[in-house]
Amino acid sequence: MSVRALVRTFSELCITVGALIVLFVVYVLFWTGVKADHAMDSQIDALQGQWARGEISAGAGAGDEPAGTPPAEPAPYQDGKPFAVMYIPRFGFTWNKPVLQGTGTDVLKKGLGHYANTAQLGQKGNFSVAGHRRTYGDPFKDFPKLRPGDPVVLTDGTTWFTYRVDRRPYRTLPGDIGVIDPVPRKSGFDGPGRYLTLTTCEPEWGHSHRLIVWAHLDATQPVEAGKPEALRR
Amino acid sequence: MYGWIWRHLPGNAWVRALISLVLVFAVVYVLFQYVFPWAEPLLPFNDVTVDGQ
Repeated sequence: MSVRALVRTFSELCITVGALIVLFVVYVLFWTGVKADHAMDSQIDALQGQWARGEISAGAGAGDEPAGTPPAEPAPYQDGKPFAVMYIPRFGFTWNKPVLQGTGTDVLKKGLGHYANTAQLGQKGNFSVAGHRRTYGDPFKDFPKLRPGDPVVLTDGTTWFTYRVDRRPYRTLPGDIGVIDPVPRKSGFDGPGRYLTLTTCEPEWGHSHRLIVWAHLDATQPVEAGKPEALRR
Repeated sequence: MYGWIWRHLPGNAWVRALISLVLVFAVVYVLFQYVFPWAEPLLPFNDVTVDGQ
Protein backbone atom coordinates (compact mmCIF):
# COMPACT_ATOMS: atom_id res chain seq x y z
CA MET A 1 0.00 0.00 0.00
CA SER A 2 1.52 3.29 -1.05
CA VAL A 3 1.83 6.28 1.27
CA ARG A 4 -0.72 8.12 -0.87
CA ALA A 5 -3.35 5.41 -0.33
CA LEU A 6 -2.66 5.35 3.39
CA VAL A 7 -3.05 9.11 3.75
CA ARG A 8 -6.18 9.10 1.63
CA THR A 9 -7.80 6.29 3.65
CA PHE A 10 -6.92 8.03 6.91
CA SER A 11 -8.43 11.31 5.69
CA GLU A 12 -11.58 9.56 4.58
CA LEU A 13 -11.88 7.92 7.97
CA CYS A 14 -11.52 11.30 9.72
CA ILE A 15 -14.21 12.82 7.50
CA THR A 16 -16.48 9.86 8.19
CA VAL A 17 -16.04 10.12 11.96
CA GLY A 18 -16.64 13.87 11.80
CA ALA A 19 -19.83 13.40 9.81
CA LEU A 20 -20.96 10.73 12.30
CA ILE A 21 -20.46 13.09 15.23
CA VAL A 22 -22.34 15.91 13.52
CA LEU A 23 -25.19 13.52 12.70
CA PHE A 24 -25.31 12.31 16.31
CA VAL A 25 -25.48 15.87 17.62
CA VAL A 26 -28.34 16.56 15.19
CA TYR A 27 -30.05 13.42 16.48
CA VAL A 28 -29.66 14.31 20.17
CA LEU A 29 -30.49 18.01 19.92
CA PHE A 30 -33.12 17.96 17.22
CA TRP A 31 -34.46 14.55 16.29
CA THR A 32 -35.19 13.33 19.85
CA GLY A 33 -37.27 16.51 20.27
CA VAL A 34 -39.22 15.85 17.07
CA LYS A 35 -39.87 12.27 18.12
CA ALA A 36 -40.77 13.21 21.70
CA ASP A 37 -43.15 16.00 20.65
CA HIS A 38 -44.89 13.55 18.36
CA ALA A 39 -45.03 10.88 21.08
CA MET A 40 -46.32 13.36 23.71
CA ASP A 41 -49.02 14.63 21.36
CA SER A 42 -50.19 11.10 20.66
CA GLN A 43 -50.19 10.32 24.41
CA ILE A 44 -52.37 13.38 25.07
CA ASP A 45 -54.64 12.44 22.16
CA ALA A 46 -54.95 8.91 23.54
CA LEU A 47 -55.77 10.29 27.00
CA GLN A 48 -58.40 12.69 25.71
CA GLY A 49 -59.95 9.96 23.59
CA GLN A 50 -60.00 7.70 26.62
CA TRP A 51 -61.59 10.41 28.76
CA ALA A 52 -64.20 11.12 26.11
CA ARG A 53 -65.09 7.43 25.89
CA GLY A 54 -64.84 6.98 29.67
CA GLU A 55 -67.38 9.70 30.31
CA ILE A 56 -69.81 8.09 27.90
CA SER A 57 -69.41 4.62 29.36
CA ALA A 58 -69.61 5.93 32.94
CA GLY A 59 -72.83 7.74 32.10
CA ALA A 60 -74.33 4.66 30.45
CA GLY A 61 -73.15 2.28 33.14
CA ALA A 62 -74.38 4.38 36.04
CA GLY A 63 -77.93 3.13 35.70
CA ASP A 64 -76.93 -0.52 35.83
CA GLU A 65 -75.10 -0.31 39.13
CA PRO A 66 -77.06 -0.62 42.35
CA ALA A 67 -77.68 2.74 43.96
CA GLY A 68 -75.56 3.69 46.94
CA THR A 69 -72.38 1.97 45.79
CA PRO A 70 -69.58 3.70 47.70
CA PRO A 71 -67.07 5.56 45.52
CA ALA A 72 -64.16 3.23 44.82
CA GLU A 73 -60.57 3.91 45.74
CA PRO A 74 -58.68 5.37 42.77
CA ALA A 75 -57.55 2.54 40.52
CA PRO A 76 -53.78 2.00 40.32
CA TYR A 77 -52.17 3.54 37.28
CA GLN A 78 -51.11 1.21 34.48
CA ASP A 79 -47.38 1.01 34.02
CA GLY A 80 -46.16 3.08 31.08
CA LYS A 81 -49.62 4.48 30.33
CA PRO A 82 -50.61 8.15 30.50
CA PHE A 83 -53.12 9.16 33.16
CA ALA A 84 -52.93 12.95 33.46
CA VAL A 85 -51.90 16.13 31.68
CA MET A 86 -49.71 18.73 33.40
CA TYR A 87 -49.82 22.47 32.74
CA ILE A 88 -47.19 24.89 34.06
CA PRO A 89 -47.98 28.46 32.94
CA ARG A 90 -44.47 29.58 33.94
CA PHE A 91 -43.08 27.39 31.12
CA GLY A 92 -45.37 29.01 28.59
CA PHE A 93 -49.09 29.29 28.13
CA THR A 94 -49.20 26.42 25.65
CA TRP A 95 -46.93 24.16 27.70
CA ASN A 96 -48.72 20.91 28.47
CA LYS A 97 -47.27 17.43 28.84
CA PRO A 98 -48.71 13.99 29.49
CA VAL A 99 -47.83 12.26 32.76
CA LEU A 100 -47.14 8.54 32.45
CA GLN A 101 -46.79 5.88 35.11
CA GLY A 102 -43.17 4.93 35.83
CA THR A 103 -39.80 6.62 35.43
CA GLY A 104 -38.04 4.23 33.04
CA THR A 105 -36.03 5.54 30.11
CA ASP A 106 -38.68 4.51 27.60
CA VAL A 107 -41.45 6.15 29.59
CA LEU A 108 -39.60 9.46 29.83
CA LYS A 109 -39.27 9.53 26.05
CA LYS A 110 -43.04 9.86 25.80
CA GLY A 111 -43.76 12.37 28.54
CA LEU A 112 -43.23 13.06 32.23
CA GLY A 113 -42.87 10.06 34.52
CA HIS A 114 -44.69 9.45 37.79
CA TYR A 115 -42.57 7.70 40.45
CA ALA A 116 -44.39 4.40 40.87
CA ASN A 117 -44.14 4.24 44.67
CA THR A 118 -45.42 7.73 45.38
CA ALA A 119 -48.94 9.00 45.99
CA GLN A 120 -51.54 9.27 43.26
CA LEU A 121 -52.63 12.59 41.84
CA GLY A 122 -54.41 14.70 44.45
CA GLN A 123 -54.14 12.01 47.14
CA LYS A 124 -52.50 12.35 50.56
CA GLY A 125 -48.75 11.95 50.25
CA ASN A 126 -46.29 13.10 47.66
CA PHE A 127 -47.21 12.92 43.98
CA SER A 128 -43.73 12.87 42.39
CA VAL A 129 -42.91 13.40 38.73
CA ALA A 130 -39.63 13.30 36.80
CA GLY A 131 -38.93 14.87 33.41
CA HIS A 132 -36.17 15.57 30.93
CA ARG A 133 -34.53 18.96 31.17
CA ARG A 134 -32.73 18.59 27.86
CA THR A 135 -33.31 16.31 24.85
CA TYR A 136 -36.61 14.55 24.17
CA GLY A 137 -38.53 17.78 23.74
CA ASP A 138 -36.82 19.62 26.64
CA PRO A 139 -39.99 19.47 28.81
CA PHE A 140 -38.34 20.87 31.95
CA LYS A 141 -35.94 23.24 30.18
CA ASP A 142 -37.10 26.29 32.21
CA PHE A 143 -37.14 24.40 35.51
CA PRO A 144 -34.90 26.93 37.37
CA LYS A 145 -37.38 29.71 36.56
CA LEU A 146 -40.02 28.23 38.88
CA ARG A 147 -40.75 30.53 41.82
CA PRO A 148 -42.83 30.31 45.01
CA GLY A 149 -46.50 30.73 44.20
CA ASP A 150 -46.26 29.42 40.63
CA PRO A 151 -49.17 27.13 39.78
CA VAL A 152 -48.66 23.58 38.57
CA VAL A 153 -51.99 22.38 37.21
CA LEU A 154 -52.90 18.77 36.46
CA THR A 155 -56.03 17.10 35.23
CA ASP A 156 -56.97 13.43 35.25
CA GLY A 157 -60.00 13.94 33.04
CA THR A 158 -62.47 14.44 35.88
CA THR A 159 -60.79 16.97 38.17
CA TRP A 160 -58.44 19.93 37.92
CA PHE A 161 -55.73 19.93 40.59
CA THR A 162 -53.88 23.21 41.19
CA TYR A 163 -50.63 22.89 43.11
CA ARG A 164 -48.59 25.90 44.24
CA VAL A 165 -44.79 25.90 44.28
CA ASP A 166 -43.48 26.55 47.78
CA ARG A 167 -39.85 27.44 47.31
CA ARG A 168 -37.20 27.97 44.69
CA PRO A 169 -35.70 24.89 43.00
CA TYR A 170 -33.59 22.87 45.40
CA ARG A 171 -30.33 21.30 44.23
CA THR A 172 -29.44 17.88 45.56
CA LEU A 173 -27.52 14.70 44.83
CA PRO A 174 -28.85 11.90 42.61
CA GLY A 175 -29.24 9.48 45.54
CA ASP A 176 -31.28 11.84 47.71
CA ILE A 177 -34.43 9.72 47.64
CA GLY A 178 -35.83 11.56 50.67
CA VAL A 179 -37.02 14.38 48.43
CA ILE A 180 -39.90 12.18 47.21
CA ASP A 181 -40.90 10.95 50.69
CA PRO A 182 -44.57 11.46 51.63
CA VAL A 183 -43.36 14.42 53.69
CA PRO A 184 -40.29 15.38 51.67
CA ARG A 185 -37.12 15.99 53.61
CA LYS A 186 -35.74 19.55 53.59
CA SER A 187 -38.86 20.83 51.84
CA GLY A 188 -40.05 22.87 54.80
CA PHE A 189 -43.33 20.92 54.99
CA ASP A 190 -43.85 19.94 58.61
CA GLY A 191 -46.73 17.48 58.42
CA PRO A 192 -48.59 15.09 56.17
CA GLY A 193 -50.38 16.71 53.26
CA ARG A 194 -51.05 16.56 49.56
CA TYR A 195 -47.74 17.44 48.00
CA LEU A 196 -46.17 17.46 44.55
CA THR A 197 -42.50 16.95 43.73
CA LEU A 198 -40.88 17.58 40.35
CA THR A 199 -37.37 16.32 39.63
CA THR A 200 -35.01 16.86 36.72
CA CYS A 201 -31.28 16.82 36.05
CA GLU A 202 -28.76 19.48 37.08
CA PRO A 203 -26.64 20.91 35.52
CA GLU A 204 -28.61 21.36 32.35
CA TRP A 205 -26.57 18.92 30.24
CA GLY A 206 -25.08 16.88 33.08
CA HIS A 207 -26.07 14.30 35.64
CA SER A 208 -24.02 15.11 38.72
CA HIS A 209 -26.97 16.63 40.60
CA ARG A 210 -30.77 16.84 40.56
CA LEU A 211 -33.04 19.85 40.73
CA ILE A 212 -36.17 19.53 42.86
CA VAL A 213 -39.32 21.62 43.19
CA TRP A 214 -41.97 21.08 45.86
CA ALA A 215 -45.56 22.23 45.76
CA HIS A 216 -48.71 21.69 47.80
CA LEU A 217 -52.28 21.12 46.64
CA ASP A 218 -54.00 24.49 46.64
CA ALA A 219 -57.35 23.88 44.96
CA THR A 220 -59.37 21.29 43.08
CA GLN A 221 -62.40 21.65 40.88
CA PRO A 222 -64.36 19.32 38.61
CA VAL A 223 -63.67 19.65 34.88
CA GLU A 224 -67.32 20.65 34.39
CA ALA A 225 -66.53 23.88 36.25
CA GLY A 226 -64.11 24.91 33.49
CA LYS A 227 -60.42 25.65 33.57
CA PRO A 228 -58.95 26.73 36.89
CA GLU A 229 -58.02 30.36 37.47
CA ALA A 230 -54.32 29.67 36.92
CA LEU A 231 -54.88 28.60 33.30
CA ARG A 232 -57.12 31.48 32.30
CA ARG A 233 -55.44 34.15 30.31
CA MET B 1 -12.46 3.75 0.69
CA TYR B 2 -14.99 5.99 -1.05
CA GLY B 3 -13.02 5.68 -4.29
CA TRP B 4 -13.21 1.92 -3.99
CA ILE B 5 -17.01 2.06 -3.54
CA TRP B 6 -17.33 4.42 -6.49
CA ARG B 7 -15.30 2.12 -8.74
CA HIS B 8 -17.44 -0.88 -7.82
CA LEU B 9 -20.81 0.79 -8.49
CA PRO B 10 -22.35 -0.15 -11.83
CA GLY B 11 -23.45 2.21 -14.59
CA ASN B 12 -22.25 5.59 -15.74
CA ALA B 13 -21.48 8.58 -13.52
CA TRP B 14 -25.14 9.64 -13.14
CA VAL B 15 -26.30 6.17 -12.12
CA ARG B 16 -23.39 5.90 -9.69
CA ALA B 17 -24.24 9.29 -8.16
CA LEU B 18 -27.86 8.22 -7.74
CA ILE B 19 -26.88 4.92 -6.10
CA SER B 20 -24.43 6.78 -3.84
CA LEU B 21 -27.22 9.10 -2.73
CA VAL B 22 -29.48 6.15 -1.94
CA LEU B 23 -26.64 4.51 -0.01
CA VAL B 24 -26.06 7.70 2.01
CA PHE B 25 -29.76 7.90 2.91
CA ALA B 26 -29.78 4.23 3.86
CA VAL B 27 -26.82 4.75 6.19
CA VAL B 28 -28.41 7.83 7.78
CA TYR B 29 -31.67 5.92 8.24
CA VAL B 30 -29.94 3.00 9.94
CA LEU B 31 -28.03 5.42 12.19
CA PHE B 32 -31.12 7.40 13.25
CA GLN B 33 -33.35 4.37 13.59
CA TYR B 34 -31.07 1.86 15.30
CA VAL B 35 -27.56 3.05 16.17
CA PHE B 36 -28.25 6.46 17.77
CA PRO B 37 -31.23 5.31 19.89
CA TRP B 38 -28.90 2.66 21.28
CA ALA B 39 -26.05 5.10 21.91
CA GLU B 40 -28.07 8.00 23.28
CA PRO B 41 -28.90 6.49 26.72
CA LEU B 42 -25.16 6.16 27.33
CA LEU B 43 -25.07 9.97 27.58
CA PRO B 44 -26.03 11.65 30.87
CA PHE B 45 -29.18 13.46 29.65
CA ASN B 46 -31.47 10.64 30.81
CA ASP B 47 -30.65 10.83 34.52
CA VAL B 48 -33.54 12.88 35.82
CA THR B 49 -34.76 10.78 38.75
CA VAL B 50 -33.58 10.63 42.33
CA ASP B 51 -33.93 6.88 42.82
CA GLY B 52 -31.55 5.76 40.10
CA GLN B 53 -34.17 3.92 38.03
